[in-house]
Amino acid sequence: MIARLAPAATALRIAGGVLTIIGTYLPWATFVLNDGAYPEKSTLNFFVDPLGVTGYRLHLLLLGLAVIVLTLLKVQPTGRMVRGLGWGITIVAVINGAYITVKGGGLGAITAADGVAFGAIVTLVGGIAAIVGGVAGGLGERPTLSWRLPWWVEWIVLLVVFVIVLFLVAAVLTSGGQGGVVNVYAGAVFLSLLGALSGAFAALSASGLLGWISTVSERHRTFSVIVLLAMALGLPLTAAGTEYWMTVAANIGVYAATAIGLNIVVGLAGLLDLGYVAFLGIGAFTAANLSGAAASIVGIQLPFPVVMVICAVVAGCFGAIVGSPTLRVRGDYLAIVTLAFGEIFTRVAQNNIGGLTGGANAIPNIPQVSLFGTAFNESIRIGAVRLPSGVLYYVLIVLLVAAVMLVFANLKNSRLGRAWIAIREDEDAARAMGVRTGPIKILAFLTGAMLAGLAGAFFAHKTAVVAYDSFRFTESVTLLAAVILGGMGTIPGAVLGASILFILPEKLREFADYRLLLFGLGLIVLMRLRPQGLIADKHRQAELVGEPEPAPPPVEEEPKKAEVPA
Amino acid sequence: MTRRRTIVTAAILAGALGLTACGTNRNEAGGTGGGSTCDTSKGTLVIGMVAPLSGSLSALGLGMRNSAKMAVDQANQKCTVKGYKLAFQPEDDQATAQIAGQAGTKLASDPNVVGVVGTLNSSTSQTVAPILAGKNIVQISPANTNPTLTLGDNPVQSPKRVFPTYFRVATTDLVQGPFGAQYLVQKAGKKNVAVIDDGKTYGAGLADQAAQEIQKLGGTVVAREKVGEKDTDFAGVIGKIRPSNPDAVYYGGEYPAAGPLSKQLAGAGLNIPLMGGDGIVDAKFVQLGGKEGDLATSVGAPAENLPSAKQFIDDYKAAGFSEPFSAYGVLTYDSANVIIAGLAKAIGDGGTFDDSKRQALIDAVQATKIDGASGPVAFDQYGDTTNKVLTVYQVKGTEFAPVETGAYQAS
Amino acid sequence: MGAGPIRPGPHGFVEGAGLLSTFLSQIVNGLVFGSLIGLIALGYTMVYGIIQLINFAHGEIFMVGAYGALFMFTYVLPTAWQQQWYLILPPMLLAAAAVSVLVAVAMERFAYRPLRGAPRLAPLITALGVSVALQEAVRIFYPNGTSALPFPNVFIEGTWVIPIGDGVPVRYAGILVIVVSLGLGYLLNGFVERTRMGRAMRATSNDPDVARLMGIDPDRVIVLTFVLGAALAGIGGVLYGNYLNNINIDIGFQNGIFAFTAAVLGGIGNIRGAIVGGLAIGLIKSLAGQYLPGGTAYDYVWIFVVLIAVLVFRPQGFFGETERVRA
Repeated sequence: MIARLAPAATALRIAGGVLTIIGTYLPWATFVLNDGAYPEKSTLNFFVDPLGVTGYRLHLLLLGLAVIVLTLLKVQPTGRMVRGLGWGITIVAVINGAYITVKGGGLGAITAADGVAFGAIVTLVGGIAAIVGGVAGGLGERPTLSWRLPWWVEWIVLLVVFVIVLFLVAAVLTSGGQGGVVNVYAGAVFLSLLGALSGAFAALSASGLLGWISTVSERHRTFSVIVLLAMALGLPLTAAGTEYWMTVAANIGVYAATAIGLNIVVGLAGLLDLGYVAFLGIGAFTAANLSGAAASIVGIQLPFPVVMVICAVVAGCFGAIVGSPTLRVRGDYLAIVTLAFGEIFTRVAQNNIGGLTGGANAIPNIPQVSLFGTAFNESIRIGAVRLPSGVLYYVLIVLLVAAVMLVFANLKNSRLGRAWIAIREDEDAARAMGVRTGPIKILAFLTGAMLAGLAGAFFAHKTAVVAYDSFRFTESVTLLAAVILGGMGTIPGAVLGASILFILPEKLREFADYRLLLFGLGLIVLMRLRPQGLIADKHRQAELVGEPEPAPPPVEEEPKKAEVPA
Repeated sequence: MTRRRTIVTAAILAGALGLTACGTNRNEAGGTGGGSTCDTSKGTLVIGMVAPLSGSLSALGLGMRNSAKMAVDQANQKCTVKGYKLAFQPEDDQATAQIAGQAGTKLASDPNVVGVVGTLNSSTSQTVAPILAGKNIVQISPANTNPTLTLGDNPVQSPKRVFPTYFRVATTDLVQGPFGAQYLVQKAGKKNVAVIDDGKTYGAGLADQAAQEIQKLGGTVVAREKVGEKDTDFAGVIGKIRPSNPDAVYYGGEYPAAGPLSKQLAGAGLNIPLMGGDGIVDAKFVQLGGKEGDLATSVGAPAENLPSAKQFIDDYKAAGFSEPFSAYGVLTYDSANVIIAGLAKAIGDGGTFDDSKRQALIDAVQATKIDGASGPVAFDQYGDTTNKVLTVYQVKGTEFAPVETGAYQAS
Repeated sequence: MGAGPIRPGPHGFVEGAGLLSTFLSQIVNGLVFGSLIGLIALGYTMVYGIIQLINFAHGEIFMVGAYGALFMFTYVLPTAWQQQWYLILPPMLLAAAAVSVLVAVAMERFAYRPLRGAPRLAPLITALGVSVALQEAVRIFYPNGTSALPFPNVFIEGTWVIPIGDGVPVRYAGILVIVVSLGLGYLLNGFVERTRMGRAMRATSNDPDVARLMGIDPDRVIVLTFVLGAALAGIGGVLYGNYLNNINIDIGFQNGIFAFTAAVLGGIGNIRGAIVGGLAIGLIKSLAGQYLPGGTAYDYVWIFVVLIAVLVFRPQGFFGETERVRA
């Protein structure tokens, strides 16, 4: 049916853009909501002050203008780009409209209950028109841009792009303020910004620019990695450089490092581990006992780098111990065995085995890591710049995650990594090809556990208390979800997955009651729609999704088909 | 779809939109909360909370949240804090220390937060207390029972205050456990007691203290067992303690497990009383299996004698929350009111709140002497509640009836 | 057979210690718990046998059944009936089975069927997601679902004390659990072995493609498998509620792990194995809690230790066939 609208495609696209712009200027809310005025002066009509739009209305204005410009200039592939922008517009309209409706108590809040406000509806129609127009006129092929510029120009391009990414990340993190009682709509602002950005990204991706940047960064891989690391370290200097975000980032880092270890076990070697958080716990308890905390049974206090190494070794040993009996067991049984180990750990930790875990009282008051007399949770000053407290922990965890990612990348491309992938794909064939599956599977558990142990050492000092209830089955499921959401077997996947799983509950506080329900439903939907995760490993993509579909036949063929009697 | 159908659908949609134009929830006052006549010209101050609002402890955490919210709403209606509106911001800590750290940091970095009610678990407080102490934000916990939070690493031999901003209205196990043991051994005459706990901080600590006191008083702990925190099938542990012929069971834990345990004790032929702490004092205890003669201790004088307690229960019911106030609702209500009262005192009549007033707020809280829903609220030099009055309750018929009230005396 | 009320001694309980009676009472406890676990394990083992999926959410089906029965009791049945157990037991069993079956069929249709051809990980993660979602859905939408809820007596109350040594108490509720679970297990075994539909199930579990060639519709068989397993789990929910007189949303997960352990112990895909495995688990829990160091605090740990040992030394379980290579 959409194809029949082909002659009207251009008109539809322009109509979509125009409607979006009109919708931007119309009021969105008919009255000031009970919880406080909806952001960006939603009750106001901006025809009197066209340049005063901010926030989501500004995003919509830009998206609508982009649709019109692209259609008029016939920038290829127009259809695909307009469709992407259209989706962005639709999402922003739906989110803001839904929030106003719910907080306002009914559809009257966005239509005509107490004054007129059709902004949301007009914009929604405009967005849908853009999508339909984009598809109807033929999507067009995504071009593969192959420009080659002098190396120093490409370096500058990469630098600029990554700085933009850093500021976008900071903007997303701080959008809507910190939320809570004073900022009731923080969740809406956050989601709306994500919607607008996704529309813009879809358009950029369709234009081939994102693909080109990806190729360029592959060409200059070392430079890219260094710049990305510098950007990560530069986060405290942006608007997201608050104590709160340093703590959240530190927690993300711990889970990301652990998830990368899990990525080795599950993603590379295909060994499903449902009790993985136990290794994080073992590392954390080891560090707690060696930190000089009063409740620890071992009375010594060792310097932090030494403790990190010891934790990695101890956790690695347990990894090997857990791995050994599982050699004869495959697939689903392995999942249950590892789940059993995880439960054993939780129960044993709760009962304070050997006095090592403090049982129900935990091991509290673990001293902070300190370097040259500065405790890591203090705020420090470099020159004239005051950095937030906890920034040193943040720097440490960024370096730790970077090191872990490096280890992972090297392993993945090494002989050992290929052996793991071979085992994952078909264990018997691997054995037939001479891969010694037993020791190699143990190595997978050992390496993964070591990385988790490292993360555990950091965790103990940052959280200042190690309790058995930080390491329950729910945390194992969260780790597994992070690996799968981000993309199994890919290097940045685990970090992305962990970030999403931590940031979403923080930004969307109004859904706190439904957090676990949405998490469960999210897992179901994820496995249905995108089981290979957000960043797809090439093997997984082929395995789970299949070959990309061939391009749809051009529109002209349809009338011919209609002539042939059924 | 044919053209006609498209037009008809569009017409119906437009009509529906038009009809629903009637639906809104707009208040007549067109703003926040109807009929408020307080002067709120100076802005909004926030009372925060860190508690488990999702996950397995959410029953307790949501009760805490509702009680604190009720306290803040009442304060707003009574204009307790002059010139300011009070807002309530609950944060979910999922009962894990690392998330609690995030929640605590979030509250600590908001300059409008004046005080925090929380946490529920002692382990989460271990993370949150240093963060709040660093920003001089007062914290009052209605539920932490681990003595090290107020008394330092060596609570019995060399107590030392750790966090000048941390207070609690819950009694520590050092008080409640021995009090219950004293009643059990000396008044109820049970000399052979089996002590069971559920492995959590509250239950294990309480049971340990009770066991020690029983032995100090000349009784015998004939069995010392631990059950899983989510267990409700106690056949195994009951079979284990039967041969030692206990004449009472002391249970450290909460009512969802204590009720079934009591019932299963009877079912196995052990018609002996079960005694617990304030964690089992709940109407549900009897519904879930508590039997006649079971005992419990609770902080403060009985609710019947306290008009403030009855008022709290009535107000809570009138407010229409979907969850009951559960074990810590009353104490949370008192904690929130302590902060609000201290805030009112620190600001005075017409003052403003800023960082310099935080110490005044802490001092005001330290010097608190009010009558709360759980009894008289005041703090000692370590931040612990001075309310050492406890009541022993016994199940008579279908609910707990108070038997004896007294102040705890170390034996 | 000695029956009747508990004989009170001078301190209100049965006098005298008896090692034998302690042992026997732990055996009884183990058998009761074990038969319940076996009942739930039947669902696990059948579903795994037919589509090679660990249905993590099966424990929640058990939980949902219990809540369904409680809902029937609290909101549907007239108060006059509530005193007579024989009036409330059938409707509650029906309600439990109905709710469990509905949830299981929906689960199969919308969550698992679309993933039929996908690699193992996808349905496993989906099952985890369904499990979490179901728990939370009950917690949020059932009135007062956050806390533990009392469950009524649906059978004769009382205890029969076997007069050996100290007296071995056996609650009538416990006898109900054992009799119903073993009985249903026996019936299910008969159904699978002797009826036509049962043969169809076995054929589909053996090789779905050949089964289709023989005229069996695998989809229908799979749905039937889910239905049977869910009905049994739902009934188990009522038995559990009656035995312990309270339910909460966590009972699904805990008992689910034990049930799967039992299924594996007995040989996954094998019905007799599920029951035997369940009884074994129950006995291990009681006896380990009684006699092994660490006591009841570590009783679960021993179950998992046994699981690991069995999977290492005899992965096919008690009754399973030697592991066939699966593609």
